Amino acid sequence: MISDRIKSNLSREFRESLLAKVGLVLLVAILIMGLFAPVLATHNPHTTGYFDDDGNAYPPMGVSYDSHQWVDGERVTYTAEPSADHYLGTNNIGQDVFSRLLFGARTSLMVGVFGTGLAVLIGVPFGLVSGYYGGRVDDAMMRVADIMLAFPSLVLALALIGVMGSLTIPIPDPFVFAGVADGMPASTPLPGTVTLVVGLVTWVWFARVARGEAMSIRNEEYVKAARSLGANDREILLKHVLPNSLTPVIVLATIQVAAIILLESSLSYLGFSGTTLSWGYEIQQGQDYLRTAWWVSTVPGIGIVLSVISINLLGDWLRDSLDPNIEGEGGGAG
Amino acid sequence: MTEELLRINGLSTRFFTEQGQVNAVDNFDLRIDRGDVFGIVGESGSGKSVTARSIVDLIESPGEITDGEIWYNEPDLADAVREDRPEAVDGTFVDLRRISPERRRSLRGTSFSMIFQDPESSFNPSLTVGEQIAEAVEVQRRASANPRSTRARTRSEEYSLGSFVLSSFLPSKRYVTEASRERAIELLELVGIPDPVERADEHPHEYSGGMLQRAMIAQALAGEPDVLVADEPTTALDVTIQAQVLDLLDELQSETGMTILLITHNLGVIARMCDRVGVMYAGEIVERGTLEDVFDDHVHPYTEGLLGSIPDIEGEAGRLQPIDGNVPSLLDHEMGDRCHFADRCPNAMEDCLEHPPEYDAEGSNDHAVRCVLAAQEYDERRAIPDGYFDETRPAGDKHVDPEDADEGPTVDEPQRPLEEPGGESP
Amino acid sequence: MSAETPPTSQPLVSVDGLEKYFWENDSVLDRLFGDEPVAVRAVDGLTFDIHEGETLGLVGESGCGKSTAGETLLRLQEPTDGRVEFDGDNVYDLEGSDLTEFRRDAQVVFQDPFSSLDPRMTIGDIVQQPLDIHDVGPTDERRQRVRDLFERVGLSVDQLDRYPHEFSGGQRQRIGIARALALEPEFLVLDEPTSALDVSVQAQVLNLLADLQDEFDLTYLLISHNLSVIRHICDRVAVMYLGEIVEIGPVEDIFEAPKHPYTEALLASVPRASTDERERDRQTLAGDVPSPRNPPSGCRFRTRCPMVIPPDDLEIDQEDYRAIMNLRERIERRDISLETVGGDEEFEFTDGSIPPADVDAFVDALRERVLDRELPARHAELVDGALAELASTDWDAAGTQLREVYASVCERDRPDLGEDGHPVACHLYADNECETLENVR
Repeated sequence: MISDRIKSNLSREFRESLLAKVGLVLLVAILIMGLFAPVLATHNPHTTGYFDDDGNAYPPMGVSYDSHQWVDGERVTYTAEPSADHYLGTNNIGQDVFSRLLFGARTSLMVGVFGTGLAVLIGVPFGLVSGYYGGRVDDAMMRVADIMLAFPSLVLALALIGVMGSLTIPIPDPFVFAGVADGMPASTPLPGTVTLVVGLVTWVWFARVARGEAMSIRNEEYVKAARSLGANDREILLKHVLPNSLTPVIVLATIQVAAIILLESSLSYLGFSGTTLSWGYEIQQGQDYLRTAWWVSTVPGIGIVLSVISINLLGDWLRDSLDPNIEGEGGGAG
Repeated sequence: MTEELLRINGLSTRFFTEQGQVNAVDNFDLRIDRGDVFGIVGESGSGKSVTARSIVDLIESPGEITDGEIWYNEPDLADAVREDRPEAVDGTFVDLRRISPERRRSLRGTSFSMIFQDPESSFNPSLTVGEQIAEAVEVQRRASANPRSTRARTRSEEYSLGSFVLSSFLPSKRYVTEASRERAIELLELVGIPDPVERADEHPHEYSGGMLQRAMIAQALAGEPDVLVADEPTTALDVTIQAQVLDLLDELQSETGMTILLITHNLGVIARMCDRVGVMYAGEIVERGTLEDVFDDHVHPYTEGLLGSIPDIEGEAGRLQPIDGNVPSLLDHEMGDRCHFADRCPNAMEDCLEHPPEYDAEGSNDHAVRCVLAAQEYDERRAIPDGYFDETRPAGDKHVDPEDADEGPTVDEPQRPLEEPGGESP
Repeated sequence: MSAETPPTSQPLVSVDGLEKYFWENDSVLDRLFGDEPVAVRAVDGLTFDIHEGETLGLVGESGCGKSTAGETLLRLQEPTDGRVEFDGDNVYDLEGSDLTEFRRDAQVVFQDPFSSLDPRMTIGDIVQQPLDIHDVGPTDERRQRVRDLFERVGLSVDQLDRYPHEFSGGQRQRIGIARALALEPEFLVLDEPTSALDVSVQAQVLNLLADLQDEFDLTYLLISHNLSVIRHICDRVAVMYLGEIVEIGPVEDIFEAPKHPYTEALLASVPRASTDERERDRQTLAGDVPSPRNPPSGCRFRTRCPMVIPPDDLEIDQEDYRAIMNLRERIERRDISLETVGGDEEFEFTDGSIPPADVDAFVDALRERVLDRELPARHAELVDGALAELASTDWDAAGTQLREVYASVCERDRPDLGEDGHPVACHLYADNECETLENVR
């Protein structure tokens, strides 16, 4: 289905674009981090700062007035600076920031991919049907879409979470089962409500793109030809309209993954994610200690920024390679 | 009393694309006399549009004029250039390829104007037609007042952002000067737009295709050019409207005596308009001469094939005699050094495996043909066997991507993409 | 292209009063804001027959509705009104297996060889698609059939796995023709099959179409704006203007002895590729095709017709009459900007009229603007009278004055196509028109 021309476009654009290479390297790094989190992590991300046999808090480093807890009537803190044991330090309750960064990448990517998938599954059929049939059907369906668009997505998401509650789905970790990652959590929680909600607030974009494509494709002569051959609407939608409208959907999906990662971070920052293994939650946790323990918030923040940038860079590359209109601009000799 | 106006020697324009170097125009020679209507006819991919654009200097990346001289007969220009660049001047002729880009640009509109196939994309939809023609008038006026200034348009205060904002509130401020508005209406009247006063205040979308084509001609005439280059001016129009526009061009030509270089794929339009004709194939002129030379006394089998392909509207014709095969590839590495038409030619001989020079042919003095048949009779014993080119010609089956059309050899595709940058015509 | 086919008693395709309107301003929002839907009358009452084995040409300029007619006739679009009989059955009533059979028997070849092939399917799959849809034979048989078709239309079978973009326009058009032939149809609608092709390639495709028709006994409806192609390939021709057929008849009659002024003008407008073209006596049409949203009353060609019929009691030169009719048109459309008459704000309009003293000068200036010829005294007087009404911006009165004197039969009555062998919808040829004229008076 992917023609040689598209392949050659992709490789040419990739060769010519430094940004695409940067994006790909970053994204691969983030993917590896997320996928192999249990293997790469140095500590169990849930393990808090611990006490030794004498009851002393360990490691008692970087004492500060801002980040402390009381243990046996003494002010101690569990926030450790980056060190050989904790590459990126620990947070205020002594959890390893590096390990949490890896597991946070998992959550972000899972929500991003599953949420986008859900949005595609809802939005694309909706848009294709709306655009293909047009007329009254289109009118009615697009008014629904307009109403969805009228709400700010964060507000809509919060409202939906309020109604549904925070539900997480534990996904068993194959590395732990295989025994190569001892001491790591046996399952990773997928924030189910959040995934559902981000899908529900972003499908409209896919519907609109798919509708536009369907509207133009339905007037293509090959669709008329198929109809004159006796093909029914379902066959035409599946065989002609869907495959030919996928290019912009793929580009949009890439960019939406980034948008959804941001949305997920916002929701978990606000405490709605249902899991603590999330970059947004981590930022929120660390923000009180910014003056003394900057790494707690900054590290997951950098994680968010880099993943969003890398995905967008790849999205640009895909768009440039797949969209003949943008490529054709240079010519003009008619 | 003909006087040479344009003398083009060895013009080559290449496009550098993914697939390789495309020789859109290859070692192209042309003479045009003042007051002539010269027609270039060819099929898509023959390089006729690129030729026109090369002459008017509108070739854009990835295209490039790689070689050649364009001598333009203009005594005033010759005097002005002689001091700076004596090598670019020959008598009253100036080589446009060797003068400064600024001076070259200042010739647009005043010496050379161009009209395009698709008038809709040549007008800005948010301004009235009158304003846009007045703008062309104004730009030409400044350019001719100060030929060195190419910034005539942008330097003027009237085009500042402030005045733009102001002009959206004050309709009366929209014309640069009252004089240019009147000139615009005059031009619209000249090109036969009924009720020019009313029409000048309308937007392009209120015009029909034929009227827009007229308006584009008006815009092109704003600078009273010596040469009007018309690139498929009637291809997008219906026949009744095409007839109107051709009548108009004909009238304008006989009134003003301007020279017209007409590019088209339509032999009927050529017959209707032109004194002299060049038939283009694969980036070069394969046959040239007066209209009679080419239509009645043609020598080149391609000319023959082209004329034989047209169904006759006047009478019941038998079977059409098409040319076999497809439009040739212009990719440098696929072209080879033979007669480019040999693979489709019914009379190809061994001699055709070498690139033929231009031979003089019977008929008028100007009749010349790039075909060995002008010098010798067809000899069946020397014919190239059938199937000879099948292996050496991947090009016929592999047409260049439509999506790369505007950078590749199919540059003359009848349906031109709409993203034609506007405002090039003045 | 085939020899004269004597009309059989039962035509293969019979079109009766076919109408197709498109509606603008027709969404829920437009309703909400109270915008009335506007009908675009793309096809407005077509009636014609196509007999077995013949090629009927449908010719007209862009926007005359010829392509819409072709698509509606194949039920690719639902008609607004009218019926189309194919082999005796009304196409729009077909359902189930009858409809499937119609889809097999009637096929279409489109204009644009770039958009008519799905870019994501191999050309082998494209040609096999109709066989798949109709479940014709086992897979091997389908493959073999595709190969046969490829050979028949002059394509090489080792290219089956390539994608459409690897082919030139002419080759793509051959692929489109192979697809249309896959189900062995009886009837083909050819919608501008060669207008996107170069002349040399066009000739190849036309020859191919002619051969196929002989070989498979096909019936063609050829839709084209190219009169040379129509002449070359058709047995009979229908000329369309603004959604209507103005003339229909055998190809020789249409081309050698056109009756309708539009057909005449159309034929005269085509530039011939011969050296005496410049000396040819041409008569070109002025003006543009009116909008199908609001077509002219009566005969739709009357706004451009060089032979529009003046009232019986009026003695007037055709060109003067044409000029007055054009002026009337503009007054009725209120398409004269009165404020700018006379240049530098010469005339002050207060409450929509100018001082009585200035009226004469105003009329002179206005006449100068809107009429480019001297009219005979009698008509000049009448026109001046109407223009004087405009001095008080009374458009209606000006229009009425002119209408009373100059109204033509061409605007009152819609001319009918006759019934004989070469019918034409024009009042110039109306023998039986007297009756309707009496009725009007």
